Amino acid sequence: MATSLDGRTIAVTGAGSTLADGIAAALVASGANVLASLDRVSVSLDGVVHAAMPAIAYERVPFHEVDDARWDAVWEQTMRDTIEVLQTGYRAMRDHGGAFVVVTPVVGMSGAAELGPYSAAVEGVRLLAKSAARQWGGDGIRVNCLAPAPEHVPIGVDSGALALSPPALGGPGDVEADLGPIVAWLLSDDAHFVTGVTLCADGGVWMAP
Amino acid sequence: MTSAGRARRLEGRTAIVTGAGQGVGRGIALALAGEGANVVIAARRAVTGEPVAHEIRDRGDSAICIETDCTDRAAMEACVEHTVAKYGALEVMVHNAFRGGRAHRLEDLDLDLWTENSRTAAWGSYYSAQIAYPHLAAAKERGRLVLVTSPAGVEGSGGIPVYGPVKAAQRALAKSLAREWGPLGVTVNCIAPVAETPALEYAFNERPELKTRVEERTALRRIGDAERDIGGVVAFLASDAGGYITGQTVVCDGGSFMGL
Repeated sequence: MATSLDGRTIAVTGAGSTLADGIAAALVASGANVLASLDRVSVSLDGVVHAAMPAIAYERVPFHEVDDARWDAVWEQTMRDTIEVLQTGYRAMRDHGGAFVVVTPVVGMSGAAELGPYSAAVEGVRLLAKSAARQWGGDGIRVNCLAPAPEHVPIGVDSGALALSPPALGGPGDVEADLGPIVAWLLSDDAHFVTGVTLCADGGVWMAP
Repeated sequence: MTSAGRARRLEGRTAIVTGAGQGVGRGIALALAGEGANVVIAARRAVTGEPVAHEIRDRGDSAICIETDCTDRAAMEACVEHTVAKYGALEVMVHNAFRGGRAHRLEDLDLDLWTENSRTAAWGSYYSAQIAYPHLAAAKERGRLVLVTSPAGVEGSGGIPVYGPVKAAQRALAKSLAREWGPLGVTVNCIAPVAETPALEYAFNERPELKTRVEERTALRRIGDAERDIGGVVAFLASDAGGYITGQTVVCDGGSFMGL
């Protein structure tokens, strides 16, 4: 039986992207009340999915051609936005507990040529989630990461480049059908003992840790 | 030749080490110079950097200090330009400088503290890598970029929540640049050290329980020596013997963090 999120209110950042929209659709199907933004959250939340990433982050540029404006937009702004999302979500969940799922494609762990700023930002975000998990466990707030295959972000990186074997499950999967239920589970009480974890859901390629 | 009669592994090569006025950076500078490299002590303040350069020259090795703020592009450009003008090349860039290791709660984060972490670790890595790039590329299979990260960049830190992220960013950047620059022969790696330094002493003073935890978790039951235990690892990575290692993080912490 699929995870039920009946009565739960979940905010999903990054509306308009394949990952955010697919995950949001799956959460709605699980019974959650989904908010497409964290901007004016005064309501109490049960969960936050952070999938937002500025479009400029996906542009491939040789590192010696990256300028300060690009590094600032990809690294600095992504990190500041993520800090804000985590702090806002914390305030909306601290009274009764809750869960974050932070979307960090495996390219942060693998690295990729011409994607230095993006990979740095993804890995920075992933470690921010671990730090939050360590500090907020006592508040009943869990923080986990979901690491999808690089095919789900527009960076032109193929899973096949990351491993010598093809994806064990045949491919990168469908966001709503394959990744959505995992996110719903991570947000649910069934995952109450899971925090600080990065769940690689890339079809069985990277297999970290 | 060293006193042991062994050929020095970095003879004639030139290295820049940021944050080399103290701690791990000083240890790396001493070790690289001991292997024959011309070492540029890129310290934010000459008052800390000059004594290290003196110490190296007193040993009969080669070093100068160039006062450099690694978070300032123009300063980093000037440092690299000066280095290449003096020594003719730059084979090894080591970015070690870091500031901002103060304990705090993430929900109450002071953005100034974030900025210190981000500017020194992430922006400093960006400038170090990019400004050294043409010279590392010219050095081909002798070209080395080493970023000094931390075990906290993998496991996170409960006390300093923005420290792990900036150190993780360095690891990811090293992997991406290793892939991007590999065809040139240039290697890009991280080290994740734990050593007796003013920074560690400060952290232990601020969080006394951390000292006990680190000591108990460390398999070798001692805190590393910056020159021998950490500098030696960078000297190896910089040498020809380290030329087939790239995109990696070498954890040199006496067997404390074993999560890689």
